[in-house]
Amino acid sequence: MSRLAELRGVGRDYLVGGSVVHALRTLDLDIEQGEFLAVVGPSGSGKSTLMNILGCLDRPTRGTYKLLDVEVGQRTGDERAIIRNRLLGFIFQGFNLLPRTSALENTELPLVYRGLSRKERHEKALRALVRVGLAERIHHTPAELSGGQQQRVAIARALVTDPPLLLADEPTGNLDTLTTYEVLALLQELVSESGRTVVLVTHEPEVAACADRVVTVRDGRIVLDQKNASPVRASEVLKKLKERAEES
Amino acid sequence: MITALRLALRALLAARTRTWLTVLGILIGTSAVVVVVALGSGARERILAEIDNMGSAVIFVFPESRSHSGARVASNALTEDDRDAIRLSAPSVQAITAWSSIRTRVHSAYDSYRTVVMGIDFDVRGFSIRSGRSFTPEEFRNKAKVAVIGQTTRLELFGAHDPVGQTVRIGQHTYQIIGLLAEKGRSSFEDQDDRIMLPIESYRARVSVTSGRRVQILVASARSPAHTAQAEAQIRAILRERHRLRPGDFDDFAIRTQEAFRKNQEEILDLVTTLLLSVALVALFTGGVGVMNIMLISVAERTREIGIRLSIGAREGDILLQFLFEALLLTLTGGALGILLAVVVTIVMRSTLGWAMSIDMNAVIAAVATSTGAGLLFGILPARRAARLDPVDALRKG
Repeated sequence: MSRLAELRGVGRDYLVGGSVVHALRTLDLDIEQGEFLAVVGPSGSGKSTLMNILGCLDRPTRGTYKLLDVEVGQRTGDERAIIRNRLLGFIFQGFNLLPRTSALENTELPLVYRGLSRKERHEKALRALVRVGLAERIHHTPAELSGGQQQRVAIARALVTDPPLLLADEPTGNLDTLTTYEVLALLQELVSESGRTVVLVTHEPEVAACADRVVTVRDGRIVLDQKNASPVRASEVLKKLKERAEES
Repeated sequence: MITALRLALRALLAARTRTWLTVLGILIGTSAVVVVVALGSGARERILAEIDNMGSAVIFVFPESRSHSGARVASNALTEDDRDAIRLSAPSVQAITAWSSIRTRVHSAYDSYRTVVMGIDFDVRGFSIRSGRSFTPEEFRNKAKVAVIGQTTRLELFGAHDPVGQTVRIGQHTYQIIGLLAEKGRSSFEDQDDRIMLPIESYRARVSVTSGRRVQILVASARSPAHTAQAEAQIRAILRERHRLRPGDFDDFAIRTQEAFRKNQEEILDLVTTLLLSVALVALFTGGVGVMNIMLISVAERTREIGIRLSIGAREGDILLQFLFEALLLTLTGGALGILLAVVVTIVMRSTLGWAMSIDMNAVIAAVATSTGAGLLFGILPARRAARLDPVDALRKG
């Protein structure tokens, strides 16, 4: 496996009311291509800050962040925007879809900022929506979709640019058990089929159990970094859940 | 670009009421600007045409008292002797006449009416007679109690009756009407048909009793428009000598040539237009501030949307353009509708009030440029605020 991301001595300080808060102290982390990595930790541990830095939404106060062997941590705003557009896909807890905008148009959005033609955008967005199983819902607006469907639109939007790294911040936080495993199964498929890398932040142990590797963050430091020899296969859990639902 | 435009359009359509109210501000401002300029240029065309109608070689002489170093210099009235002197010794003057007038009440058998009573010394020149006749030289000499009447005055005093042969009373004296003047129409200064004319001798003897053959105005015409300046100089020299003014003394009369008159009118017109225009521009500015206000609210409301866009790779410039286009669309729509409204208002005013107005292409261009400028000016601040948002903060707030 080749290295996708490399964090060395990364820290992030905030000034809050005149005093410095160390959201991340000093952190080293390597992420390999094709890994399904879960970041867990209590709230306030710094896992969201870590996600923001990995997602080039925020700049580390110190340390280096290399993505595909290129230093990206200290880039300017526009350069980071291009990196987000080309190399990263985001999946949020609150889905973060544009309201009153169809699934297709929501999915097309990252391509708009890439300057693709309408036709190309349509084709790619359609392919991404088919991939997440929403071919019949492309003209629905978020208000007309269930939570699980909305999250699948968000995943399609993250996939449409074909990025090597998907960042998911509590993607199942707003979903029930069944749809949680639907989303997790989809993410696992993406990793195993196309060698994509997924970094997922969660505080739910059942969700983390589906990952290949679990990194535990506490007080701005990595306190545990474990490989998961036998991750839970979300698709199997999903099958059992469905069978049980049919029986009752 | 086109995408940014489409995004802007969609955002505006999503908040219809707000969009239209904002557009309304710009609309009113723009149409105010265009209407004011249309009024100004219409009035200018009309006034200048009127002045040219009066003949371009006409020179007016008024008595004028001037204060000089605080001391008021007594005015020597203009007299018929002044007129005679100019008639004799100013070679560039082709003709010269004297007028006096007063606004007073005139009574007929049917009605009474306040009108302009004029004493004139010439054969009703420049006024053609529609029915009846004009004054004879004997009537001038004899201070005859005769009058010619203008259309407006005639309608007020006699209605549909034929005035010729009837009498009017002015003060204690009764005058016979011998002629009805042909209609001259309104000028912007006065109704030229609202008058009744007497021989000047008769006027001076009974209507406005003054000593020494005084008159109010001398009206001269130069041999040709090219002779106007010469004629003016000759009149000035003759009057200064007759009024015994020493070199360095100020004139105790004022000479207005057509050119000066025209310039004067233009200046007044420009002043009024500028004044109205600045009020209209204030209205447009207020509309612009409204746009800025709405855009700032819109940016605040859509912080989350901006965060989403930033997170999936929108650059600062993309966000800037999106919000700038929104502001521009607002102001351009307002501008276009404002011009439309101005055209309608102009047509309505022209037909109902009879005001001379003409939509000026320059005004339209200026209005479009101003509203676009306002869009850029008032759109850039909110757009920059949107573009500079930190993606992490924007996503968290939403």
